[in-house]
Amino acid sequence: MVDPLTTFEAAEIGRPLREGHIRLTQADVDAFCALLGYDDPAYRADAPGGPVAPTSMGLTFGLRLGWEADVFPPGAIRVGDRNRYGVPARPGDDLTTVLTITARFVRRERKFLEYEMVTRNRTGDLVCSVAFTAIVP
Amino acid sequence: MTRPAPSLPTAEIAISQDLIDGYAAVSGDFNPVHVDRAFGAASAFGSTIAHGCLPMEPIFMALQRWLGVPALPPGSTMDLRYHRPSRPGDVIRLDAATPEADPGGGTRIPFACLNQAGEKVIEGVAVLPAAVG
Repeated sequence: MVDPLTTFEAAEIGRPLREGHIRLTQADVDAFCALLGYDDPAYRADAPGGPVAPTSMGLTFGLRLGWEADVFPPGAIRVGDRNRYGVPARPGDDLTTVLTITARFVRRERKFLEYEMVTRNRTGDLVCSVAFTAIVP
Repeated sequence: MTRPAPSLPTAEIAISQDLIDGYAAVSGDFNPVHVDRAFGAASAFGSTIAHGCLPMEPIFMALQRWLGVPALPPGSTMDLRYHRPSRPGDVIRLDAATPEADPGGGTRIPFACLNQAGEKVIEGVAVLPAAVG
């Protein structure tokens, strides 16, 4: 069930709503690469200097938090992104993602919310900042 | 990193329900509009649709191949709009403009991701933090 404080009507704009923590594993990276067809040796466990995750895997961290923390309403439709990418995530990283609803507006009788998910590693380096606008029910 | 070619390589992704279901598993995004066929059929789209991140993949793939790196340089950005959904059976290909100097000192690459009918699914701009080439 979606948290009432994350709905269009009651969302608290600009206040961090959720914080999620994951430890990225090699199995996570392997699964992502197998699904999307990424085959660069740099993603493998035996990569010289240690493996990295493909940049686009960063998009999944905020999605996971938003769904698992009941922030995104079922039926939400993403209409635009403003994303910034930082250092690559690496297997073994402890990643923290903070989710904030940053804006709310109505256009042509449709309700829009803007979400921002910022993921950092244990040393505080930005991994990615994903800001997307969605039409919400 | 070697000096890249003047233009980005081609890249595409074939959308299938298996791919969408797999992306739901790796992202935790089980929005019924993606994974519930009955929900999708009853929706305004008439079918399930792919997660927005899936038709974005060709720009990531092409940029990383172009630069010869496994991940984008820190400070890279993308601004984009979704024009229409992608559905199972669609093949999404990248249509990237020739990279150009960005006023901020980086490299700017306008791009679109098109379906097999040539329709824009995504249109956006990627900016790399340094001049390339």
